[in-house]
Amino acid sequence: MSGSTGPINWDPMIVGFIAGFVSRVLALRSGRSHQPGYPSSYVIQIAIGVIAAMIGSSVIVSLIGKQFTAATFLTLAATQFFNVRNNERQTLEQEENLILVGRGAGFIEGIAITYEARNFLCMLVALATSLVTQWNLLFGMIGGVIFLIIGEFFMSGPKVGDLIDVEPADVRFEKGTLLYVGPVMMMEVGLADSRQRFLEEGLGVILKAKNFRGESVLWNIAQRQAISHQAASTVGVQKDVGYPEQTPLCRMAMPQGTGQAGLAIIPVERDMDNLIKAIKNTPVLESGKWSKMRNTKNRKDVSHG
Amino acid sequence: MADAPMPSMFAIITTDKNTVLYGGMAPVFYAPNDIERDRVAMWLCRITNAIVHDLHNGTVILTVSK
Repeated sequence: MSGSTGPINWDPMIVGFIAGFVSRVLALRSGRSHQPGYPSSYVIQIAIGVIAAMIGSSVIVSLIGKQFTAATFLTLAATQFFNVRNNERQTLEQEENLILVGRGAGFIEGIAITYEARNFLCMLVALATSLVTQWNLLFGMIGGVIFLIIGEFFMSGPKVGDLIDVEPADVRFEKGTLLYVGPVMMMEVGLADSRQRFLEEGLGVILKAKNFRGESVLWNIAQRQAISHQAASTVGVQKDVGYPEQTPLCRMAMPQGTGQAGLAIIPVERDMDNLIKAIKNTPVLESGKWSKMRNTKNRKDVSHG
Repeated sequence: MADAPMPSMFAIITTDKNTVLYGGMAPVFYAPNDIERDRVAMWLCRITNAIVHDLHNGTVILTVSK
């Protein structure tokens, strides 16, 4: 193509690409969502990250080289990344029937959105870094690090532990068959065999909201399913097909409506500290971010009904 | 695993025939005593992936979550 004048300055592209790629690789710590888990998932995500970083970093260079066709094509390529979320969601939904304690639709949506957003963030970091590098190489490098930090800060959402206190509680049965964790009624267990297993091997925790945000988070069922999944995937759950009543449940203290939740689980690894840590590390879901609510039942100064 | 399970009744096992009028959508199993009732309930629940609920009147029901 004609129109390019003089030698191309490759620095913005190289520095921008590195910054964008590092931003994507930093996000690959699987930790909270147990996704990605296998080398094959890593390969896919790194490959997409490379493409995203390249798109982001080459826009400025092609614009300066007056290659407007190339720049237009790059924006076109960027729109392809909208499909990434659908692919991720489909994979996780397929998996949902294969795991004993499901993630729940809310958690899956959260992972998929984060995955998509990560790629766009990678593109943005690459774009911004290459823009600064075009002006000055040294400032570009410093800017890249700053953009990385801003991106990381921007993408790390709150965790359940920030909003909710988790305390150990006793597991017991009232009226013969009703499973209680502390003051919270969980469910009705009809089989004597299962009741015995809950009493002998079960662990129970109580989730109490620290503030108004925590209250609204707890009332969200998708959030509680995510908490159960995280608990089960950390300490394990002694359950198989044919034992549905031994599924870990996270339920609100219902007739009382005090805004506390209980969780009962029959763990493989009987470790209360690990269980509490897992629950506190669960990400707060986007669907759980309702407006904050003040439970008037727990307040002395306001009458409730 | 749905977020909100939708249980449907699958079977009824009772020691007291007076508590169950007709089976309707679910078969009714009669057991002479509580031990036999719990044994049948356990078998059915493990086979069919159902959840056992005690109605505290001599009857237990099995539900399957869709």
